[in-house]
Amino acid sequence: MSAAFYDYVRGLTDEVPDGYTLQGMRVYRYLVYLGASQMVEACHPQLREQLGEDVWRLLIEDFIRQSAWNSNYYGDLENEFRDYLVRTTAAETV
Amino acid sequence: MIGVGYRREMRDWDMSAVNADFFEVVPENWLRRDRAPLHDLCASGRPVFLHSVSLNLGGQSVINEAFLRDIRALLDELGSPHYSDHLASSGDAHQLYDLFPIPLTMAEVVRVSDRIRRAQDILGRRMAVENATWYTNCGNMTETEFISRVAERADCQILLDLNNIVVNHKNHGLSTLKEFVTELDMSRVSYLHVAGHEFNDQLGMYIDTHSQPVETLTAQMAHELSAKHGLNVLLEWDNDVPELDVINQELACLQPSMTT
Repeated sequence: MSAAFYDYVRGLTDEVPDGYTLQGMRVYRYLVYLGASQMVEACHPQLREQLGEDVWRLLIEDFIRQSAWNSNYYGDLENEFRDYLVRTTAAETV
Repeated sequence: MIGVGYRREMRDWDMSAVNADFFEVVPENWLRRDRAPLHDLCASGRPVFLHSVSLNLGGQSVINEAFLRDIRALLDELGSPHYSDHLASSGDAHQLYDLFPIPLTMAEVVRVSDRIRRAQDILGRRMAVENATWYTNCGNMTETEFISRVAERADCQILLDLNNIVVNHKNHGLSTLKEFVTELDMSRVSYLHVAGHEFNDQLGMYIDTHSQPVETLTAQMAHELSAKHGLNVLLEWDNDVPELDVINQELACLQPSMTT
């Protein structure tokens, strides 16, 4: 599997990797977004409500773009999201 | 035997009222939780099979020995007769918590079967790999040739998911259910998965949602293969889980005595 495949899935590029279809790649990007969005929302329902749909989408998309998740446990995405918030907040205050 | 995937939504159900002969759970959802509900299922005389989602057999990450040792301990704890994961990636060198296609090439047969062998060595037993749904893929082999070669080289079993074959056929126009099963060595099949799926208008493809009743042709094939090869059948209903009576109705439709 090429790195270009996962770059597309993470939203790092919109260039469809050789040998794959745009339609299929969009499905994979959507499914990863859905998985991350659902888990983060389950832990922070009020955050989604406060941010509204458009800002929420941008936040989750950025969270996925920066992802290097290692845990076998989907539930650990919550910890990853907390770490992501700390990292991005720190970067903004520098 | 006919079984059903045990899901979080079922925790408050009277499980004695579920007309299943066995259950299947995702071990990642139980390794760090109170497993009393699983022991209750086992105590009712109905075995619990384990079906993973995160081994990343097709990915580039190092095979996680500690995790597999935990799986091995759980298999022993529950006396589970079957363990499986998907013939897919769950990420690259990292996890993305979904299932991605493995290119259908001989190089990947060698690489992935080596990873399965490594996993089986740690588990101390054979495992099964499930034929996966895919939405785009590349390579120069047919899916059945790829699966067969991986299974032979890794000496593992195949968890045959009939719904995934149907979804792939609808999306890509490749092998029909009948063609697919004809091309496989059924002696390697551990048991069968059946489920339902949905068409997503926005994405323009059928998505493997596990949120609908099993299609008639899929149930018929499950009957046929179960009768011919003595295979157990597992109903997967993971999203929009319906009421108990609907699950029991689906399980009844899968019983060998039913003709659909």
